[in-house]
Amino acid sequence: MPFVRLREIPRTISFRTALMSLALFGFSFLALFGYVYWQTAGYLAHQTDKRLERQIESRSQQPPKMRLHELQEHIEQDRKSHSPHTLFDAQGRPIMGAVQKLPSFNGYDEPHEFVWHKPNGHRRPIRFMVHPLEDGMLLLVGEDIHSIQEFDELLVNALLSGGAVLLVVGLLGAVLLGYLAGRRLDALSRSIERIIKGDLSNRLPTRGNDDDIDRIATIVNGMLDELERLMSEVKGVCDDIAHDLRTPLTRLLAGLERTQRHALSQEQYARAIEAAIAEAQGLLQTFRALLRITEIEDSARRRNFTQVDLDRIGADASEFFEPLAEARGIALEFSPAPVPSRLAGDAQLLFDATCNLLDNAIKFSPDNGWIQVKIIAEQGRIGLRITDNGPGIPEAEREAVFRRLYRCESSRHTAGNGLGLSMVAAVARLHDMILEVHDAQPGCRIDLIQASQG
Amino acid sequence: MTHVLIVEDDLITAREIEAALKDHGFEVTCIDNGRDALLRAISETFDAIVLDRMLPGSLDGLGVLTALRAAGIATPVLILSALGELDERVRGLRAGGDDYLTKPFEFIELTARLDALLRRFVGQGQEHDNQLRVGNLSIDLLRRKVRRGERPIDLLPREYALLEYLARHANQVVTRTMLFEAVWQYSYGERTNVIEVHMSRLRRKIDGEGEEQMIHTIRGAGYALRSPA
Repeated sequence: MPFVRLREIPRTISFRTALMSLALFGFSFLALFGYVYWQTAGYLAHQTDKRLERQIESRSQQPPKMRLHELQEHIEQDRKSHSPHTLFDAQGRPIMGAVQKLPSFNGYDEPHEFVWHKPNGHRRPIRFMVHPLEDGMLLLVGEDIHSIQEFDELLVNALLSGGAVLLVVGLLGAVLLGYLAGRRLDALSRSIERIIKGDLSNRLPTRGNDDDIDRIATIVNGMLDELERLMSEVKGVCDDIAHDLRTPLTRLLAGLERTQRHALSQEQYARAIEAAIAEAQGLLQTFRALLRITEIEDSARRRNFTQVDLDRIGADASEFFEPLAEARGIALEFSPAPVPSRLAGDAQLLFDATCNLLDNAIKFSPDNGWIQVKIIAEQGRIGLRITDNGPGIPEAEREAVFRRLYRCESSRHTAGNGLGLSMVAAVARLHDMILEVHDAQPGCRIDLIQASQG
Repeated sequence: MTHVLIVEDDLITAREIEAALKDHGFEVTCIDNGRDALLRAISETFDAIVLDRMLPGSLDGLGVLTALRAAGIATPVLILSALGELDERVRGLRAGGDDYLTKPFEFIELTARLDALLRRFVGQGQEHDNQLRVGNLSIDLLRRKVRRGERPIDLLPREYALLEYLARHANQVVTRTMLFEAVWQYSYGERTNVIEVHMSRLRRKIDGEGEEQMIHTIRGAGYALRSPA
């Protein structure tokens, strides 16, 4: 079970994003609630004030006698003093009503609030207005606003508790998201660590839902596939180099040591030196060929591309190898294309590649065999085909022969460094050509063909 | 005596070249940096210059070469460099080099190429009336006909080209690489054994039975066309 350390959660992007949304949401929650509170409280106060104003208006318009009578009636009805109307004389002494003392106020007909100590000992919040009557008396109309204040408090409490719940749920959510993201990242980093430690066959876990992390993981996995291929190739080449170069080096060393040990004649010395030189030259040649392939694989060489006539390349190479073929009684036949066969390329490299193919064909053909060099130029395909009636290349080895330093089992004992076909393959890649080995039944047919674009 | 200037910063290589060229009968001066090389090449007369491309200091081989050519000095220059890619070779030749040899090289290749360069510049006058003559071998350059003594020799175009090159460098060692580059016009491609077959074919035609040998194989080096003693 993957375990995410708690202190790592706050660093995850998911956690931070969740936190940020929580902050944003909290802020808008506060604003909304504040607005609602402000509007409701204001509305309720406004309604109270309206009622107070209406009372004052109706009372002040009544003749004093009727006013007194109605007040008396109101006071009797309003036993609980929900609206304690009171009449004071000009000096502020109560004449009639529940309130015993004129509360302080600064301005007639303006709403004010005060806490009324009721005779029964209760305290009530009262909203009131004072109106001067035409006979010099002061009329106080008030209303108990306890319920309104209670409502306000309820609202604020709801806001606070709702906010707290929101905060807790939001924080938990953020931690959960952070934990999940952390767990996923942990799985990814564990895979990557394993890969770094050398397990190149390992791949990053994907969920198949194509989300952001999945997409990156897929790309990284693709990169790893390519890397693995390259690594195995490099490893193969290194193994091959180690093997193929050790042999001539050992031979060289053995020869030199033998010469050193034995007292030899002048002539034997000369022979030993000659053999050593030949070995060293062979080694140099292998290195040169390796470097050459690297050089060819540098696609910057395409800068030197010119229009090349494949017919001429084929003819030159065939003509160059003709005496070698003739010496072995091999019939070397060249057939040019019926139509002009020009392509953008490097004449030197194409010539070398053709020579390598011909060299192989002659090397592996039986005496008195035949080899055909054919230039193909048809339906957007242009290229070169070399067919021989030698032993051919076994199906299983047809891919491997293009690897550097690879030598077929059957050819281990013929001269060569196993780089010829690798060089041809490099030239083919540079020219966007396809290099294929086919069975010519009997023999081998090698196609080096460029399918034209479009 | 032929005087050759060697510009090479690697002391061991310079000594080896010096020894090889002295053995070959040349007088040799060695310089290990571009500035001094340029001064010497301008103030003295050399028959040929062997120039390394990568030199210490501000003036590299190509810089020396460009300055020399700009100063109107036409001494044949053979560039010797580890930079063997086609681009580099082309750049060396464009800068005014007369020949380009890639390290590692064989000394016989170096001396053979120097001989060829020197001869080209001395302008060997063995050519008369469009005829090349080496001993009793005559080559009609216009009609591309070859005779040895009275015996006409029928040659394929490529064989003729080989023979003409050999004859133009008669009594000189010509390496397989030189032959390949001159006759096939591709650059050196490691296929020396194929050239051997071509040469043995040519030799069968030139050196008939009972005739004295003219085409000589120089072991580990190449070939030479020599007039029979």
